[in-house]
Amino acid sequence: MCQTVRPGQSGSRHKSMEIIFTIPSPAVVEEESSFASHRKGDRSLLPKNGKMDMDIPLPDELELLESDFHLYEDYLEPELYESDEEEEKREKESSDSPIQQSNSPDFSSAALNSVTESSSVNGLKRLRSDDADVLMNSGSDDVEPSGGKRSRNDKPPVENEEDWLRYSPRSEKNSMMEEETSLTVKEKTVFRYVSEIDGDFIPITAPDSDERVYAKLSRFGDKEGSKKLDLKERHGGIMQENMNVLLERAEKEALTKTLEASYDTQVDAMPPREPVVHERLWVDKYAPSSFTELLSDEQTNREVLLWLKQWDSCVFGSEIRSTSDEVLSSLRRHSSIAQHHKLSSVSFTRKNKFPGWRAGNFRDSTFSEHQKNTTDGIQDTWSKKSKLPSPPEHKILLLCGPPGLGKTTLAHVAAQHCGYHVVEVNASDDRSSSTIETKILDAIQMNSVLGDARPNCLVIDEIDGALSDGKGAVDVIVKMVSADKKAERENGPKDQPGKRSSKKGQRNVSLIRPVICICNDLYAPALRSLRMMAKVHVFVQPTVSRIVSRLKYICNQEGMRSSSAALSALAKYTECDIRSCLNTLQFLYKKRETLSAEEISSQVVGQKDMSRSVFDIWKEIFHTRKMKLQSRSDSKSRNMCDKIEHLYSLLSYRGDYELILDGIHENILQLNYHDPVMQKTVKCLEMLGVSDLMNQYIMQTHHMILNVYQPPSVITIHRLVAQVQRPNIEWPKSYQRCRGLILEKMENLRSWHCKVPPLISRHINSKTFVEDLVSPLLHLISPRTLKPRAMHLLLEKEKADLTQLVSVMVSYAISYKQIKSDPHSNSSRHEATLDGSVLALDPPIDGFVCFKGYESCHNVLTLAMKQLLVHEVENKKILLGSNGKLEPLSDAKMVNHEGSWDKPLKGGLMKTDSVALSAKNNIEDRGPYSAQHHPSNSTSASDGNSGPGVNLKSSAVRKTPSLGSSSFFDRFRKPGGKGSPNTDSIEKKEITLERDLRPLLFKFNEGFTNAIKRPVRVRDFLL
Amino acid sequence: MLWVDKYRPKTLDQITVHQDVAQNLKKLVTEQDCPHLLFYGPSGSGKKTLVMALIRQMFGASADKVKVENKTWKVDAGARTIDIELTTLSSTNHVELTPSDAGFQDRYIVQEIIKEMAKNRPIDSKGKRGHKVLVLNDVDKLSREAQHSLRRTMEKYSSYCRLILCCNSSSRVTEAIRSRCLNVRINGPTEEQIVRVLEFIGKKEGLQLPSGFASRIAEKSNRSLRRAILSFETCRVQQYPFVSTQAIPPMDWEEYITEIASDIMKEQSPKRLFQVRGKIYELLVNCIPPEIILKRLLYELLKKLDAELKHDVCHWAAYYEHRMRLGQKAIFHIEAFVAKFMSIYKTFLISTFG
Repeated sequence: MCQTVRPGQSGSRHKSMEIIFTIPSPAVVEEESSFASHRKGDRSLLPKNGKMDMDIPLPDELELLESDFHLYEDYLEPELYESDEEEEKREKESSDSPIQQSNSPDFSSAALNSVTESSSVNGLKRLRSDDADVLMNSGSDDVEPSGGKRSRNDKPPVENEEDWLRYSPRSEKNSMMEEETSLTVKEKTVFRYVSEIDGDFIPITAPDSDERVYAKLSRFGDKEGSKKLDLKERHGGIMQENMNVLLERAEKEALTKTLEASYDTQVDAMPPREPVVHERLWVDKYAPSSFTELLSDEQTNREVLLWLKQWDSCVFGSEIRSTSDEVLSSLRRHSSIAQHHKLSSVSFTRKNKFPGWRAGNFRDSTFSEHQKNTTDGIQDTWSKKSKLPSPPEHKILLLCGPPGLGKTTLAHVAAQHCGYHVVEVNASDDRSSSTIETKILDAIQMNSVLGDARPNCLVIDEIDGALSDGKGAVDVIVKMVSADKKAERENGPKDQPGKRSSKKGQRNVSLIRPVICICNDLYAPALRSLRMMAKVHVFVQPTVSRIVSRLKYICNQEGMRSSSAALSALAKYTECDIRSCLNTLQFLYKKRETLSAEEISSQVVGQKDMSRSVFDIWKEIFHTRKMKLQSRSDSKSRNMCDKIEHLYSLLSYRGDYELILDGIHENILQLNYHDPVMQKTVKCLEMLGVSDLMNQYIMQTHHMILNVYQPPSVITIHRLVAQVQRPNIEWPKSYQRCRGLILEKMENLRSWHCKVPPLISRHINSKTFVEDLVSPLLHLISPRTLKPRAMHLLLEKEKADLTQLVSVMVSYAISYKQIKSDPHSNSSRHEATLDGSVLALDPPIDGFVCFKGYESCHNVLTLAMKQLLVHEVENKKILLGSNGKLEPLSDAKMVNHEGSWDKPLKGGLMKTDSVALSAKNNIEDRGPYSAQHHPSNSTSASDGNSGPGVNLKSSAVRKTPSLGSSSFFDRFRKPGGKGSPNTDSIEKKEITLERDLRPLLFKFNEGFTNAIKRPVRVRDFLL
Repeated sequence: MLWVDKYRPKTLDQITVHQDVAQNLKKLVTEQDCPHLLFYGPSGSGKKTLVMALIRQMFGASADKVKVENKTWKVDAGARTIDIELTTLSSTNHVELTPSDAGFQDRYIVQEIIKEMAKNRPIDSKGKRGHKVLVLNDVDKLSREAQHSLRRTMEKYSSYCRLILCCNSSSRVTEAIRSRCLNVRINGPTEEQIVRVLEFIGKKEGLQLPSGFASRIAEKSNRSLRRAILSFETCRVQQYPFVSTQAIPPMDWEEYITEIASDIMKEQSPKRLFQVRGKIYELLVNCIPPEIILKRLLYELLKKLDAELKHDVCHWAAYYEHRMRLGQKAIFHIEAFVAKFMSIYKTFLISTFG
C-alpha cells in the first residue's frame, strides 16, 4: 500500500489528520479511499449516521493527537449529534471534487475535530489498528521525504514493493469497477458501529486496546486521465517518478497475469498515454456484471436465481418471497439495483485485497440493510430466524454445459445479486479431500464465527475437472448433504440443522449455504453421486442471434468493423462459445484485421476440441438434422462430408468406443427407421460385430493404433439409421447387468462345485452343469410322489425313495435354507410362501432354469416336505461326518450302509437290554446321538421292534461292531455296563412305563458338537 | 447319489461304451510307459470316466483317494505378483486341474504352476521313482499363449510326468500340442449303446422298462450318455411304473430356446428382435454358453424351415459363430444371426407369398 501524504493540508490546521490511501495500481490511483476513525469519546458534533467526510492525519500530527488524547479522556460520553448546518455544509463540500475536498480547510477542520477530539471509553489510545499500521508503514516509505517522522516508518522499501506487487492483480478488477462507481460516493466517515456504515469500511483498533472503530472507505471516482495529471502536478519530483514506476509495474503485473505472453512486448511498447483498459481481454472487459447482461438462457438464469432465493429463509432469515414471478419482477427491478450491486462487488474485491484484516468485521451495504434495525441484536435475530423454513430441497445446484456458455459468470452474478459473497474453488486450487473440506467448512461457517458477515456462496468450478482430486470435493459435499438429510429425518422437519445448533455446542457439519457446482460433463463418473442429490441445470446454447447482437455491441464499442453474417458464422463455428468468439475477435482486432465469413473456416480461428458427453454422441449418431433442400448435389455431398468429418472427430475425441457401441446396441432397435426386410438391422449388427472383433483384437494385441478404424463402423451405422426424429436414448445397462449376473452365478456355481465331493465334481463343469445336469437334478430332488409324512409312516418303497433322495442331496451338497420370502421371485414358483420366510434351495440352483417369461414344469415341494428333507439331510451329513472323513461314496458301500442300518442297531439293542440305561450312558455324546435319533427311531418303529423311544445308533456300532472297544462309544458303554447292575430294575421298569406313556422326543439342536459333553440323567428328561 | 455317478464304470474293464478304446488304453498302460494323451469328444461321451479309469489302472486304488485343494498361488509376472486361485484335485500320483478357470491369466498357471507340479517327481512306496500324471481339463479353452507355454513343459518333464488333456474339440488345441500327444477321439455313444446302458441300469435297479422307452430317452439325449441317464432317473422319480408314452422331461433352456425360435418365426421386425434379445440375455445370464445357444437356436429354426433356406441359414450360423468366438460380446453376434435369419426369412416370405 502506498500512502500519500499531502504536506500542504496539515500545517496550518490545528490537529488535522489526513491520510489518503492510494492503491498502487494504475486504476486505483484515482480510487482514493480515505478513512478516519471515530472515537466514542468524541466531544465534537459528529453525525450519528456518518455523513461526515474526513481524512486521517499525518504521522507527525498523529503524535500530536496522541498527546492530545489525554486531554479528552475525561469526556466519556460523546455528544454525537451534529448540527444540521454543519452537515449541510459538509454535504456541500462533498459534492466537490475529491482533491478539492481534501485540500479544503473547512472540510479538514470538521474532520479533524472529530478525529482529534475522540477518545475511548476507557481512555485508551487506539488511533490506528495494527493492520492499518502495517499498511501505513508500508506505504509511507514513498512519502518519507515529505516529512513522515514516525518511528514505525522503518520498513524497507523491498517489503513495500512486495506488498503492493502482491495486491496488484486485483487492481484490475478494481479498475473495472472504477468506471462504474465514479462520482457516486463521496462520504468518508468513522463509525462506532459497523452497521452504520453504508459501504466498505476498514476496522481500526488501537494497538493497546480492544476497542475498535470502523472507518468508511469511499472512493473518488474521477476522470481518470485528469487524475493522473493531477498527481504529477501535485507531487514533488521523487513522488512523481515513483508514481510512474509504480503505475508501470502494476500494469505489467496485471497484464502478465491475465494476458498471453505475447502481449508482453506490447506492454513494453505501449505508449504511456494509451488507456490501460483497452489492453484487457475482451472476455473480462465485457463480462456481464449484472443479471440483465447475462447471455445464457433466460429460463436457466431465472431458475438459478430462484434456487438462490430459496436460501433466503435459511441464510437471511427473510421469508421466501421468490416465486417465479418474484424473480421476474426482481429481474425487472434489476436495472435500478445494478448500481448498488456493483458497489457490493467492489467491496468484495476490496476485502480480498486486505488479507491482513480478515479478522475484522466487514459489512456490506446489502447485508447491512437487512440488519439495519437490529444493530445490537444480531445474535438475537439469528436465533429468531432459526425458526424459519429450511433451505431448498436440493442443497446443491449443479450447472453443466459445454465451455464458454457462461456458467461461471451466471453463478457469480446470480450469487452476488442475491447478496452473497462468492467463494470460488476451482481446478487451480488444491482440491484434495482434506483441503476442500476445510475450505467448504470455512465458507459455510464463516457466519457462525463472525456473526454478521455477508453470507458466503460456494462456487465449485470445474468440479468434473480432475477425477481424483475433484472427487474429493464431490465426496465432501455428498457427505454433508447426506448427513443433513439424515439429521433432518431424525430431528423432524421442524428442527433445523446447521449453524444454529452449532451455537448450542454441537457443531453440525451441514450445508447451510448455497453451493453451486459447475461442470462440463454431467455424466462424468465422479459426479454420479452428486448428480442424484443436486438440482441439475443443463446449459443450452444461447441462440446465435443473441450472441451476435452481443458481439456486435462489443465490436461497436471497440470500433471494430464487422458484419452480422461473419459474426453469426463465427458464433456457429464456435458453437456459441462466447468466450472463444470474443477471443477470436480480439485477436483479429489486434491484427488490425476485419472479420469475414470466409476467414472463419480457415486457420484463423481454431476449432474447439470438443469432448462431448457420450449421450451427445449417441444423439449425434441416431439423430440427423433435417437437410435443407439443396438443389445441387455437390453441396449435398459436401454437407455429407462435413457431417461425417464432424462425427469422426466427435468419436475420436471421445474415445471409449466400447461404451459407444454398447449404447448403440442398446438403443438401435428402438429406433423407428424404415426397414421392411431387416436389411438395415442386419447391416448395423454386422458393423457392431466388426467393431467387437476389432475391440477384442486391440485388447489382445494392444495395437491401440487400430482404434482409428473404430469410428467408421459407427459412422456407417449413423448413415443407416439416423432419423430426424429425436431418439430416446437410454444408458446401456443390460450388457453390464448381464455380465454382473453371469459372474455372480458362476461364483455360486464354483463355490457349490467345491462342496461337492470330488468323485462327482470332477465329472461336472459349469457348462455341463447348466447344459445337462440342472434340469434333471431339479426334477430329481423334487419328486411329486413323496408325501410329507414321518419316516415310520412311509411305505417301504417310499422310504427307499426318500433315502435315495437324501443321498442325492447330500452327495450334491444341496439343501434347503431359510430365506426371507421375496414376493417377486418366489411367489410364482413356491407355493409355500404363506409365512414370512421360505425354504429355498441352498445353492440356488433353481435359479439356473429361471428364465423370464418361462414357466418351468418343475414340481415344487411343500414346506413340510422341505422341512423333512432339511432334517434328513442334516442327519445324513452328521452321520457321514461322524464317520470321520467324508469317505468316497461308492455305490456298493452306499448300499451297504442302507442295508446295515437296522442290523447293527438291533444288535446294539440286544446288548443293552435296558434302553433307558444305555440312553443314559450314551446321552453324553449328544451330537451324534440326537442326530441319529430320528432316522433310527423311525426305522426301528417300522421294524415292529416294540418301538423304543430312544435308540442307540452310534456310527461306530452301526458301521463296524467289531471295532469294539477302540471305538468312541464303547468307552461309554463300558461304564454303562458297569453301572447297569447298580441301577434298580424297578426303576428301569418305571422308566420304561413312563416312556411308553409319553414317547420321548428329542429335538435336534443345530450347532451341538461333540465338544460339549456333560453327564445328564434321563430322569431329568422324563421329569 | 445319482445313477450317473452310481453306475459310472470304475475300471477300464467295466467300461462298456468305448470298450475298444478302453482295451487299447489298458494295453498301452500295462505294457509300457504311456505317452501324453489328448482325449477329445463331445460332452457326455465319457472322456472323463475313461481318464479316471485309466488312472486307476495305472496307480491302483490309491488314485481314488483324492483331496480337494483350493489354493492361491502367487505368481511372479514381471513387475508385479499375481494371485491366482486354483482348485486342484490330487492324489499321490496325479493332479487334476482346470487351467482355463483363471481366464486370461491361464498362461501363468501353465508357466508356473503346472511346471512346478511337473518338476516334483514323486517317489513311490518301494523307493522307486514313480511318475505322475497331470490331468488338464478344458484344454481347448486355454489361450494360445498358454498352449504355447505348455509345449515345452510337455517335452522337458516327459521322463516322469504325463499329461492327460481333455477337451471337447481338438481344433482349438494347437497343432504343436496335438502332435505331442496320442490323440484319442471319444465319440458320443450311439443310441444303441445308450439303450444298452439304460437297460443295464434298469436291470440293476430292478426296474421294468417298457419296450421302446429306453430308445426314446436315447433319442432325446442328443447322444450324451450323461443326459440320457439323468433323464432316465428323472422319469423314474416322476412316475415309476413306466409307461412307454411317458413324457421325458425336457431341458429347461432348450424349451426356452424353442420359445425363442417360434417367436422369431412368428414375426420379423426390429421390435421382435428386441424381445428376442431380452430372452437371449436371460439365457446368457443363466451361464448357458453362447455357442450352445446359437447351435440350439439354429437347430430349432431349421426344424421349422423350408428346405431351400436351410443351407443358407446354416452358412450364416457358422459365419456368426465364428465371429462370436473371435469377438467378445456374444450377444452382438447371436443377435446378428437372428437379424440375418429374420431378413432371409422375411425376404423368402415376401417373394413366395407376395
